[in-house]
Amino acid sequence: MRSLLLAVLAAYLIAAIHSILAFVNKRRSLQRVAQWSTAVGFALHTCALIADWVIDGHYPLFGLRETLSFLAWALVALYSLVLYRYRAQALGAFTMPLISVLTFIALIIGSDSGTAPAAFSATWLFPIHTTLLIFAYAAFFIVFIASVMYLLQERELKLKTFSAIFHRLPSLTTVNELATTAGAVGLTLLTLGIVTGMFWSSTRSGRIWHNDPKEIFALLTWLLYFVLTIYRSTANWRGRRAAWLGVVGFALVLCTFFGARLLPGYHVFG
Amino acid sequence: MSILLIGVNHKTAPVEIRERLAFNDEACANGLRHLVDGDVVREGLIVSTCNRVEILSAMANDQVEFGVGRLTQFLDTSGRLPAGFLDQHLYRHTNEDAVRHLFRVASSLDSMVVGEPQVLGQVRHAYSLAVEAGTAGRVLNRLVHHTFRVAKRVRNETGIAANAVSISYMAVELGKKIFDSLKGCSVMLIGAGEMAELSARHLVNAGVSRVIIANRTEETARKIADEFGAMIVSLEHLDRFLAEADMVICSTGAPTFVLTEEQTRKALERRRNRPTCMIDISVPRNIDPAVGNVPNVFLFDIDDLESVISSNIREREREAERAELIVQSEVMQFQQTLRLMDAGPTIGALREKLQDVARAELARQRKKLGPLTKDQEAAVESLLVSTVNKISHPILNQMRRFYETGEPDATQAEQDPFGLEE
Repeated sequence: MRSLLLAVLAAYLIAAIHSILAFVNKRRSLQRVAQWSTAVGFALHTCALIADWVIDGHYPLFGLRETLSFLAWALVALYSLVLYRYRAQALGAFTMPLISVLTFIALIIGSDSGTAPAAFSATWLFPIHTTLLIFAYAAFFIVFIASVMYLLQERELKLKTFSAIFHRLPSLTTVNELATTAGAVGLTLLTLGIVTGMFWSSTRSGRIWHNDPKEIFALLTWLLYFVLTIYRSTANWRGRRAAWLGVVGFALVLCTFFGARLLPGYHVFG
Repeated sequence: MSILLIGVNHKTAPVEIRERLAFNDEACANGLRHLVDGDVVREGLIVSTCNRVEILSAMANDQVEFGVGRLTQFLDTSGRLPAGFLDQHLYRHTNEDAVRHLFRVASSLDSMVVGEPQVLGQVRHAYSLAVEAGTAGRVLNRLVHHTFRVAKRVRNETGIAANAVSISYMAVELGKKIFDSLKGCSVMLIGAGEMAELSARHLVNAGVSRVIIANRTEETARKIADEFGAMIVSLEHLDRFLAEADMVICSTGAPTFVLTEEQTRKALERRRNRPTCMIDISVPRNIDPAVGNVPNVFLFDIDDLESVISSNIREREREAERAELIVQSEVMQFQQTLRLMDAGPTIGALREKLQDVARAELARQRKKLGPLTKDQEAAVESLLVSTVNKISHPILNQMRRFYETGEPDATQAEQDPFGLEE
């Protein structure tokens, strides 16, 4: 298991280094290496998750190690989709290092102490709840990166001074569209994730709301991305303001993700 | 064989001299036939552009001194200049330097605007003229094909031609940065000057599908409008169409602002805040600088463009340094190819010579062998020849290696080609 994850990390690291080099040197051959090693890493990672599932006998998304590993996997999946759809190669230079770090932390945590209580694997609602939310977080990360890219370029266009990074980022329209689409996808996933969470909670304890910090943050996050999506679709808010909201929103996502670790509450993990 | 290149370019000679030396296609073909006599000058090629006139030639190693004189004289006569007149303008490069010079020219490192793409086409044209005239031979064929490869490598591996260095092309570059693809975009020209026309042509080539011209007089606008199938509107109706334009290029001679912040705000509202790129190339400025404060409007005046262009030129120069490294390594590689081409015949000839020695010895001793059948005769000859081949093989191989690297190296294998010490 560990050696498989080690191979995954190696592939992601190669991809990260080549993405950064391709970003700096604008070389297509480097980009090809990055994409191939991402694909290899993703395939191995999928195997690792399945193996984890089979060996441990529960869905591989419980406890910090599994969560980080799963999040890295979800990010690679979304990043690959974005690459396919938008050809925004520059994204790799930002996402692949983060994915490598997540995988690395998952690797050094080693095994989670204790196994999941039977209650969590008894019904399908719980794994669906967590999976949806992990993908929502990954989508919001894409919104964040695209928004930062937008803001950097918008600033340089307004100031009329173009730095080296300017020529290496995808166009304003591309990153704007990317942020819009990823935001809408993320909001949908978040909504479904919260609803499945409520269902699961009601079947388990009869309550759908526990007032714990994670739930409150999640609600705030949902509101923010709801507002963002509405504004973007009515097009009154375009460009800079929407991009700022995408950045602020991600701070809330981080609070939601880590909130439960720092504050006591009903939810057990990130 | 040696390679010799002499010529003048925009750095060494003023236009009065370059124009006298310039060759048109016909003069070039005739000149080449006249110059390449197969005796001193074995192969030749003439590159003649508005920035340079260069003669590239190949000749035997011991005739380079003589060849320099021949080529100089050739330029003097074809330009009808007194002997010695060109001395201070002419550069002469031999072998490695000549190869490097050609690589740099074709890669556009020696151009007035570093990275401009035309020069490679001009070298390609010069080569096809030489091929037609029958003056491109073994050496120049190899050299020119290697040159094309170097130019391609430089283009692909460095950003030497990446960013716009002219105002008209800047419009395309900014448009692509904002809209990604210009396909389906509309551009509005306010004022129908020459610069606006040039920018519009670049934009249309890049995919812009709709051109709107707002001009004071319709007749001037008509001339440009026909070329692009553009719509003409009067300046009074500017506001109505402003909302439809993704890009605005302004170049009227008006002494005041033609476009104000208020107008732009309204247009953006009707555009539902879709971004707009505005370029004001007129002096005095025709677009109120305050327009730049409107969200999602990106306004550039002439000074902004100039400063971006000069930073792009600096960026190209930085990339040119990387290109020089590529050229240097390719020059080394070509030197090796050239040495091999030189060595090829020598090694082959030596082998023949040794085999001849064997055959001569056989002829001398033949009588003593008595009568032999055809098969036996053949066997004896092949015995001798293959012995000679086997003995000489390590030495010939060593020679080949020596030619490849260009210098004798003192490794164990070199001192002991027969492997006696093993």
